[in-house]
Amino acid sequence: MIGLIVFIAVMGFSLTKRDKLSWPENFIGDSVTFVQQWFYKPAAYLAGLFEDVRTMKELYRENEQLRMTTAKYARDATAYNFLEQEVKRLQEELDFTKQQQEMNDYKFVIAQVVADNQDPYNNVIKINLGSRNGIKPDMAVITVDGMVGVVSRVFPVYSTVMPITELNADTPGAKPIAATVLGNLDSFGMIDSYDTQTGMLVMSKIAEDDKLDKGDTVITSGLGGVFPRGLVIGTVKSRRVGDFGLTHVAEIKPTAKLDRLYEVFVVVPPEMEGLEE
Amino acid sequence: MNLRLAVFLMVLLFLFEGTIYPWLIPGSLEGRLVPHFVFVFVLYSALYSARHTALTLGLIFGLLQDIVYYGHLLGVHSFAMGICGYLTGLMLEHRRSTIMMALSAIGIGSLFYDSLVYFIYKAFQITSETYAFALIEHILPSLFLQLGFALALYIPARRMFENSGKGSADDVD
Repeated sequence: MIGLIVFIAVMGFSLTKRDKLSWPENFIGDSVTFVQQWFYKPAAYLAGLFEDVRTMKELYRENEQLRMTTAKYARDATAYNFLEQEVKRLQEELDFTKQQQEMNDYKFVIAQVVADNQDPYNNVIKINLGSRNGIKPDMAVITVDGMVGVVSRVFPVYSTVMPITELNADTPGAKPIAATVLGNLDSFGMIDSYDTQTGMLVMSKIAEDDKLDKGDTVITSGLGGVFPRGLVIGTVKSRRVGDFGLTHVAEIKPTAKLDRLYEVFVVVPPEMEGLEE
Repeated sequence: MNLRLAVFLMVLLFLFEGTIYPWLIPGSLEGRLVPHFVFVFVLYSALYSARHTALTLGLIFGLLQDIVYYGHLLGVHSFAMGICGYLTGLMLEHRRSTIMMALSAIGIGSLFYDSLVYFIYKAFQITSETYAFALIEHILPSLFLQLGFALALYIPARRMFENSGKGSADDVD
């Protein structure tokens, strides 16, 4: 009975947001994960090897696709160089402060995945970056395809990443993602939960006259201040009137593959670095 | 002392669950076949050793799982594994369980464990799945995985824990 009370107290306490963990947690978490990485990497490598053999046939098609992407990228890059200079010039003319100028200057830090939890309610992955590398809770984690999750707990050398499939509007302390549409930045909605039965993210609080439509690419808007802007989340699959009839709700199919990850990027916002120094 | 060997094996199994296992199962079953191999060993220790061994092993390995994959909250697996191990030991400790009895105990134990974990997460509003969905989606498929694993390792596990139980009994006498 006492055990039950102690456990409920521990669960309730550990549910809150904690920037720093105590040393036993740090020690156990880091030392076990240190061993885990010896297993995960070879397994991933071997699995990758077999996959490579299997996908040899698709290589040609994939090459063709990549060539097209590169061409598109080269075209965009020229336009981008020009635009960047233009923006810089305008910002200087308008007397932007240094902080305002660097606001969207994110750093992408590469991290290897070292373990993958199988628990369906707590499907976290562990990455080999921790508080020593300047990682903080609530940083966004992405792959080249799109957003994967959010840093949940930070150990000194490793940290756990909560995938976006764990989003739930009812959870205490939940952080919905403010989102908008690529190419139409006036759209607005909050991605606040994930429907396990359909495998779709749910974007709510969309205004009735919003132009968001099927097939649009949804990106983070950066309005909440928690997540950086411009990260791809997914594509809109359907849109309907919400439960209360005032706002609309859309289903978003996540673009990023969320299982069998090997490498991810942690997005480090510049403000946080400033605080650290 | 065979308990040491058992603990070493359980650590290896724990590492296996989070690292090699995800690469072995087909991608479509990811998140549906949830391995609880360490938990199966906790139940074996309850069946063929003593209930207090099971309680301790459950608490320790549950806590390990909780801390290493600290996402939402701590203590869920520790609590669930500890109580399942203890209760199984309380009911079946002093009988000489046959293979069928051991397997049904492990089946019921895993079902109870998964449900307990589900209800704890439900109580803290971390999941909003219905119980029926969770049951079909992953509790029942994982049950078969656990049973298969238990069957495969029945003989070595039984031998290991029976010896360790005898060893400790001799020490007490």
